[in-house]
This record gives sequence, structure tokens and C-alpha cells, in this order.
Amino acid sequence: MNYMPGTASLIEDIDKKHLVLLRDGRTLIGFLRSIDQFANLVLHQTVERIHVGKKYGDIPRGIFIVRGENVVLLGEIDLEKEYDTVLKQVSIEEILEEQRAQQQTKVEAERAKLQALKERGLSIPRPDVLDEY
Amino acid sequence: MSESDQREMECPVTHSQWPEDGDRWSEEENGDEVEACGLLQEMVEEDEEIDLYNEETFGLDLDTGVEDAEGDQADLLLFCGDPSPAPPSPRPHTPSSPSLPKPGPDPRIQPRAWSGIRGRGRGDKERLGGRGKMFEDPAVMRTVEGRPSLKSLDSAIVDSGTSSSWQDKDADPWVLSSYGTQRRNPGSILQDKAIVSVIDRPTPGRILPTPLNFLSPLRRPFPAFRGAGPSKNGGQQSARPFGQSYLSQMQMNPMVPHSPVRQQHYGQPFTPKMMQLRFGAHSPSPAPFYSPSANPVQRFRFPGHVTQLHPQHRRLLSQRQQRAHRKTDSWDLHSQLMSLKEKEWIIRLQMIQLQSENPHLDDYYYQEYYQRMEAKLAEEELLGDRAKREPPKLTTPYVTKTDSYTPVVHIEGSLGQVAVSTCFSPRRAIDAVHAHCPEEEQKDTRQQRLAVLHNIEKLFMILLDVEEGERRRATVFSEGERGRLREKMQRRVELIYRQLQHPVALESGEEFLPCLLVSKGKRLLARLIPFLSHDAALHILSVITSHLPGLMSRDTDEALPVLYPSLCTVIGGLSFSQLIEVLRNFTSTLPETKETQLSLACQNKFGISLLYALLSQGERLLSSEVPMEPSIGDFENWTETVFQVARHLSQCSLVEPLLLPSNLLSLFCRYLDKRTVHQLENSMERSTTSCPAVPS
Repeated sequence: MNYMPGTASLIEDIDKKHLVLLRDGRTLIGFLRSIDQFANLVLHQTVERIHVGKKYGDIPRGIFIVRGENVVLLGEIDLEKEYDTVLKQVSIEEILEEQRAQQQTKVEAERAKLQALKERGLSIPRPDVLDEY
Repeated sequence: MSESDQREMECPVTHSQWPEDGDRWSEEENGDEVEACGLLQEMVEEDEEIDLYNEETFGLDLDTGVEDAEGDQADLLLFCGDPSPAPPSPRPHTPSSPSLPKPGPDPRIQPRAWSGIRGRGRGDKERLGGRGKMFEDPAVMRTVEGRPSLKSLDSAIVDSGTSSSWQDKDADPWVLSSYGTQRRNPGSILQDKAIVSVIDRPTPGRILPTPLNFLSPLRRPFPAFRGAGPSKNGGQQSARPFGQSYLSQMQMNPMVPHSPVRQQHYGQPFTPKMMQLRFGAHSPSPAPFYSPSANPVQRFRFPGHVTQLHPQHRRLLSQRQQRAHRKTDSWDLHSQLMSLKEKEWIIRLQMIQLQSENPHLDDYYYQEYYQRMEAKLAEEELLGDRAKREPPKLTTPYVTKTDSYTPVVHIEGSLGQVAVSTCFSPRRAIDAVHAHCPEEEQKDTRQQRLAVLHNIEKLFMILLDVEEGERRRATVFSEGERGRLREKMQRRVELIYRQLQHPVALESGEEFLPCLLVSKGKRLLARLIPFLSHDAALHILSVITSHLPGLMSRDTDEALPVLYPSLCTVIGGLSFSQLIEVLRNFTSTLPETKETQLSLACQNKFGISLLYALLSQGERLLSSEVPMEPSIGDFENWTETVFQVARHLSQCSLVEPLLLPSNLLSLFCRYLDKRTVHQLENSMERSTTSCPAVPS
């Protein structure tokens, strides 16, 4: 059991390689250099990793300072097991292309669904325009 | 070379006027100028490269018209920094640099004044190309034809282009591979500048090779940070927003990344004063005396002097600390960015928030866990040991909170509440409960219900206090203390009782009913009853039984059974007359439906259990040897009740009671004929499929 309550427990994680998932969906991988009481993070040699299917691509980003409230989760990366994965690394261009394709298919599927529903006279309002609760 | 002399001379001057807050520094730095100068050189070289990148990033369009000033600046800013490893290319670049536009007040533009000087290693072609685009706004330009200039990239990315990441080894193949040279869809991809840099990295030839080798590759990614060296200098500061930019950058960058490396060399400049400035001077500190600057020299102790760790916990941690050992990794030059002091500061900060005056109440699970762990360990230790030692009792000092604070403030006349953030509650949630306005006391039922709920909540808090007090009373040894506690608890109990009996908002004489109708109120009463005197408890029992139909019908949550255990205990203490009194309620007929309460009770789990409990008590009283003092007519009432009940039970279907006392049958045997008894037995057994029979 950790004696360091709250964000102080991150002190043990300092100078280790971490994977940080942000609220906007981005995945950052970097060395955790510094923290504060709000769990704001300073990530060093950060890389933004984009995953599409079984492929991923890394974009080097340098130093990140992340506001604590935007972190969904973070975890230490075992350096020995880091490359022991079925995922295949590809170039940035390729992964962005894949991502775009994925987005496109999603949008098209959504559109098709909406169209189908409209033809049947149904409508599912989008969550962001729904104002009843 | 007069210029270099000039530069050498100015080295110590500028060094002592380090940009952060020059007047606060002592003059001790003059001693190691020579040594510092050498390192300043290093820093300046680095700055040169940084400036180079920035120049390439932001373009040459802003570097015009300051030829003269530029010339001076060049001298002054590079005072010490004519790096020996760099080829001694002619300095006339500076005065002969092309007419560049006058720099605006924008601080980030100034660095590009060095373009001329920096141009040592680069060809003119680059500069010409840059100049050609100098009037374009780099921010606007997005798509490129042909080779994108780095002007469209931002500095952080360029840096990554020089392989600071750990995927350095893959960098070259990327650059040389087909990815870099193809331009399938430049527009969209180039939206993200980081990607561009990786895809199309500047060729290594454009970077000054020698400084690169000189500096460690891992120190690359700090483009925004300005070395402190070539920044301020005497009177020329006013003309140089560039200097201000340094200052502001230094201020904004309290965690100087270079410090761990520099610390080896610069002993003096990093005085406690500077430490004070660097660590959190500009970051909000929750309380003044907890800033890390309070005691710069402090070896790492256990988390703070204000902790209330359980001794078992402390033992565990000391063991763990011995095992764990934080060594400085030689391969990671940026490790230990956070000093021990800073870490301890955070730990202390978090620990303060855990202080409490009553740890057993506030942190029940923690205390309980460690108490049990301790007990278990003690037991294990003592397995071989004969002498039974008592596990050490935890005596945590009760800390009285130093400041009382109101985390939520209501300003008069405002509609809402304002949260005051302190170190105890940095982000306090504001409740949606509005401030109490006495003139709005309405009589609608919703208000009443809310008032009742509110009342119940308050009384629950007092009840928890009472229970806590009782628990403590068991552990307290002194008689006087025990007595005092008891009195205090008793007063509280009476308060709760009174409040429940006659809630404020109600004028009618229905005691206890409002709280009984709320399930939490039932729970409250159930927990309160053990503390009450016999008479008070009896009173409550009577109230419940007399209003039983109403209670049962409105018991939507089925919370009534929660009252059963405490009422059972009460019933167990009833005398015969009291019992008869209570039972009478059961046999009374209801005015509207012409049914007896009995029939209703039989349909309700709680009702029937209560009934059984009462009957069982009667039987117990009768069959016991204790002489009873029955009033006149008691026995008759009793017998009549029993008959009525028996008749009813045998006729209608019964629900499963919570508990089936085992002496009921003997009771019925006594009064009724065999056939009826048999019928009763069957019907009762039919109902109680899984109910535990309890011998009473």
C-alpha cells in the first residue's frame, strides 16, 4: 500500500516511461519528469501514438505539459516488454492515412444509418443537440 | 581582436546579472567567472543553434532595419560566445547583412537578429530563399510547392527533426526512404507540422556539426529555453525586448531543465535564493509555510512531520524504503528533474489534507485495516509465546485543525455560492442547495417533505456521533470520563428523540410519523431505539403499532423490516400489561374497511413478524416463572386476542415472517383445540418455507 496519498503517488513514477491517455483521445508516450499536486504532468521526449487497427504510428512531440484534469489514465511502460507486441509500427503518413480512412468510414456509416432511419420516419437526435434531460 | 576582448570582458558582467531577478543576487559569482565563461560558451553555442532553428522556423522577414543595433547586439549578445570550435568565419556578416525589416516588439522575432552570425555554416542560398519569402506570414502559408521550407514549421517540431526521440535510429531510414520524397497530398498532412518535420527532416548538413557533437544529443529538445548567458547586458536592455523575452521565459520556466547538468559546474549561482526563485516561486503555493523554499537543506525524512501514519503503516514503509533505492541512471541525463525537496513538498501537501481530529471516524477503513493487521501480526507473533501481550494500541495524536475555513461562501444577496479554494479543498464542489431564506416557508407538501428529510439528515449526524461516543466509551478506562461521555450521549439521544417526536414544521400531534414514512427515518429510529429508555422505546412501539396499516401501505421501499430487530428487543422487555396494550392495537378494527388490523398485518412481512414477536413474548411471560403483575382484565384480553389471532391465521393466507418464534405453537396448543392447532401449524409452515425458526 502506497503511503503517498493522492497525486503524491506519482512520485514513484518519475523518470519512467509512461503511456498517458488524454481526454481528447490522444495517446502520449513519454518520460514523466515532474508532477504537482493537481497531477499536472511534464512529459519528456514525448511521442504521440496513433493507433488504427493493428498498426500504429508515432509523432515525436518533444516536451508536453499536461493539465492534470485532462488525463484519463496513465501507466508505466515496461521497457523490456515494450516492443513485445503484435502491433506493427508504420510511418506517420501511412497511419494518418489509415486514420482518415477510418474516420471516413465511420462518418459514412453514420450517414447511412441516419438516412435509413429517416426513410423509416425515425430520428435519433444527436447527443450534442439534445437539450432535454 | 578588440571585439573578442570586449566580449571576454563583458562575460563576467553579464554573468553576474543573470536575468531572473538581478538585484537579488549576491556578488559571489564573480569568483568563478573564468570557469563559468567556458560553460557559457557552451550555452551560447547551443543558443546559436536554437536561434538557427528559430530563424528557419519563423523566417528572416522580421530581421530588417536594425543593422546597427544588430551589430551592437551581435557583439554584446555574443560577447563570450565566439566559439572556438566553430570555424572562424569572418564576422563581417553582421554589418553586411542584407537590409532586413525593423524588428517589431515581438520578442520572438529578435533572436533572428543572429541570422547573419549564424550563417557561418550555411550557404547563401538558404538565406536568399528565406529572404524571398520574408514578407509572407508564416502562419498563413500552409501548402507548399516543392520542398517546404521549415519556416512553416514550428520550433518544437524542428527540434524533433534532429532526432531527440528515442527512435533516433529509425530517423535516417525515414528520411531517406520514399516517404520523405513523395508528396502525395501535401496539404492535409502538412497541417500537422510535427509530421512534416519527421517526414522531411532538414539534412544534417545544415546543422552545425561540431556543436552537435559537443553537446549531448539528448539535450536537443529545449528550443524555447534561452540559456541565461547572452541575455542581459548593462544599459542596452531597454532597447531589447529580446532580453525581456529571455526574462519572461526564464520566469515562466522555473523548472530549469539544464539545472541538473549545470549544477555540477555552477556551485555558486544556485544559491538558496535562486532555488527560491526557481521552485514554485511563480506557482501558486497553497500555504506560505509549506513552500519548498522554506528549508533548502533538508534531508529526506518520512513524509512530513504532520503525518498521522498508523505505527504499523510506518513500520511497513520503513521496510519498503530500505528495499527501494533510487539511483541516478547514468543513461538518463534528464532524470532527477524533480528534486527531493519538491517531491517532499507534494507529499506534505497531500498529507495535510488528511489531517483529522478524529481519524477513526474520518478514516475508518484505514484505521480498521491497520488495527486488524496489527492484531493479526501480534497473534502470529504470540503463537509460540506464552505470555499474552496486548497488541499495541494506536495512540494517534488528535490534531486540531489550525485554520477553520469556510470552503463555500454565500454572499448576501447573491443567487449562488462561491467556492473558496484552500489547500484542504483546492477544488470544492458547490452544492445545489440554495441558501436558507426564512421568509419562504411554504406549506406545500414538497417543502414539508424536504424539511423532514433535512431534519433526518441532521439527526443522523448526531446519531452517528452518539454511536461513536458509545464505542469510545467502551475503550475509555477512567470512570469519570465514561460517566461524562454517557451523559453527553444521553443528552444527544434525547435531542434526537424530541426532534423526531415533534418535528418543527408540523403542528399536528402525529408524533414520529413524518420520519417513519421516510425509509431513512425508519433506519434512524431503528438505530436510535437501543439508546432510548424503556418508556421512550415503548412509546415508539405503540406509535408504530397504532399506525401500522398506514405505515405498511406507504412502505414502498419495504424498509419497515429494518425496525424489526430493535423492536424485538423492546418487546423482549415488555411487561404483560404493556404487551396487552400493544396487542390491543392489532385487534382494533379500522373504521373505513371494517377489517381488523390483523388481516392487514398478516399480509405484510413486518406486520406478521411483529405480531409473532408479541405473541411470543406473551407466551414467554406466561410460561416463565417470574411473577407477573397483570392488571384487571389482562388475562381475558390476552386469551381473546390469542383466539382472534388463531382464527385469523388459520383462515387467511400468511406471508413469510422475518422470524418465526418457536414457542408460538405451544402457545396455541394451550388455548386451542387440536384441530385448530393443526390448521395453524400447516398454514404457518406453508408460509415459512425458508424462515429460520428461533427458539425463544
